[in-house]
Amino acid sequence: MESVSAVPEVQTAAPVNKVLRFDVHQRLQHLVMMTTFIILVATGMPLKFSGWGMSQWWIDFWGGIETTRTVHRIAGWTMLGDCLYHILYIGYGTLLRKRPFPYWMVPTPRDFRDFFQELRYFTGLAKTRPQYDRFNWREKFDYMAIFWGIPIIGISGLIMMYPVFWTKFLPGWIVPAALVAHGDEALLALLWIVIVHLVFNHLAPGVFPINTSIFSGKVPRERYRHEHSLEYERKFGSDIALEATPADPPPQGAAGEPLDAPETPPETPEVKGEENPEGRTR
Amino acid sequence: MPYNKRSGFFPALRQGVAIAKKPFFILLLGIVMMAATAAILRSYTSERAYGLDQNQCLLCHGNPDLAKTNSNSEKVSLYVKEEFLNTSAHRYIDCTACHTATPHQVDTPLTKLSLAQKCGTCHEYQYNLHKESIHGQQLLQGNADVATCVDCHSPTANPHNVIRVLEYSAPAYRKNIAETCGKCHRNETLMGRYGILEKVYETYMRSFHGKAMRLGTYEISRLDKATCTNCHGTHDIKSLEDPQSPVAGMENLARTCEQCHPDAGAKFASGFLGHKEATPQYFPGVFFTEIFFLALTSAVVALGVIVTGLAVIRWGINRWKV
Repeated sequence: MESVSAVPEVQTAAPVNKVLRFDVHQRLQHLVMMTTFIILVATGMPLKFSGWGMSQWWIDFWGGIETTRTVHRIAGWTMLGDCLYHILYIGYGTLLRKRPFPYWMVPTPRDFRDFFQELRYFTGLAKTRPQYDRFNWREKFDYMAIFWGIPIIGISGLIMMYPVFWTKFLPGWIVPAALVAHGDEALLALLWIVIVHLVFNHLAPGVFPINTSIFSGKVPRERYRHEHSLEYERKFGSDIALEATPADPPPQGAAGEPLDAPETPPETPEVKGEENPEGRTR
Repeated sequence: MPYNKRSGFFPALRQGVAIAKKPFFILLLGIVMMAATAAILRSYTSERAYGLDQNQCLLCHGNPDLAKTNSNSEKVSLYVKEEFLNTSAHRYIDCTACHTATPHQVDTPLTKLSLAQKCGTCHEYQYNLHKESIHGQQLLQGNADVATCVDCHSPTANPHNVIRVLEYSAPAYRKNIAETCGKCHRNETLMGRYGILEKVYETYMRSFHGKAMRLGTYEISRLDKATCTNCHGTHDIKSLEDPQSPVAGMENLARTCEQCHPDAGAKFASGFLGHKEATPQYFPGVFFTEIFFLALTSAVVALGVIVTGLAVIRWGINRWKV
């Protein structure tokens, strides 16, 4: 759903205890981004660490660098295509469908306050978690990082693919610089995905071992209320919606702790960060 | 033979099968088969020489202790290792081809130069190219540091163990060339003597070409990536100061790049770091890209570790409290 107003109309189609969070385009964009990212890491990282025996074994396993290079290029082009898809998707929704521009993706001062509030909560200096709207600061960070990362990694990749073409109008040192930028930006993205994205979105209490919302588009109502309480209240009213559907089974965390503990924030089990905004992983 | 209901048509066969089913027999059979396999494998890897030895030279020279004392009263080993001959490119050429028909009358003091000259009696073209190279020029002046024929064509720098270039184990096989050049060019003290301060091997291995060569397969048809010799030449390697060197000056360098990158041009060639590290003065664009991404990656990863680390601790505390 491009706009907030899309939620109620879809809600009738979705099971009552689930809320639709991502539309089919966003899910597809995330799926392609995730798949190509994994393929690019698997075929690219061994080149960055080419001296490691493991890298040599891995590349040999797939039939040598000639094979993995082809796979890497196809996956790279696909990822760029996925980003183009996303740009067109936003443009179509905003310009032709006259939906609001997705301003809720743009970082605001509130996100910085949320960030520090969350750190204070983690360290015990604050009793309450920050209340999040449609996207929390981590989700915005993941999303905006792609707008930084894709141009860097895409352009440097294209420079390395077609060095003779690019040096027709750029200085020669751009090629070794592209090698540095491409590998380092890739490592940065990989580390962020593993350290932050995977932990908060899949290993956190309440969602472990996997959070399927970016693939199915749906989030259990109780979890939605917990993780995106501001948006939830704006759309469904505070607790009225919950009381209206008393038959909903409470969503279960991995360890079996019910997520619908009383609304006293400090003692509630911590909740995972939501899947990536706008259907993207990075 | 009448049919016996108990023992069937072939009582002897039945008895044989019964014996064959006994554990001791199976064990015995296993031991015999293992011994046979070991014997066959051993025959393939025996130390028997396959080289041509028409005059039975190896009867004496196959003895590791065989040695003589030369005019400088130095002990010189006369031992020829037989296994070396088995894989040698010249295994079907008799000893006398190089050592003359009267080897015991010849008293050539063996030097690197005389050895190269000996190779040159047959490999004339390569020898003449080598004489023109920086290695060959130094060799003619009596410098024994330089690479000659056997240094690049034998894994043990032994003329009896020269391996054909197209064999995987050859030091001059394309995939192995960087290692082979590295035997000397990674030696900092040796290179320091000639003012070659660049870490040529390490920078090559970090480059596009080096990574591709290292991770590529061994198939010769796919070893089309540049290695040392593609840019510097093979037998006729020139010093960088020699204007004839294919890598001396941007003009020559561009022509060398164009062997593989058609239409590359001098601007493309100017992106080559010259086996050096980027510094603020030398390739500042590359240097500051490195610094920028180092700082960015460290900062963002540190942020991620802090946030996730604190979150994990908080989740643990919350769980423990419940």
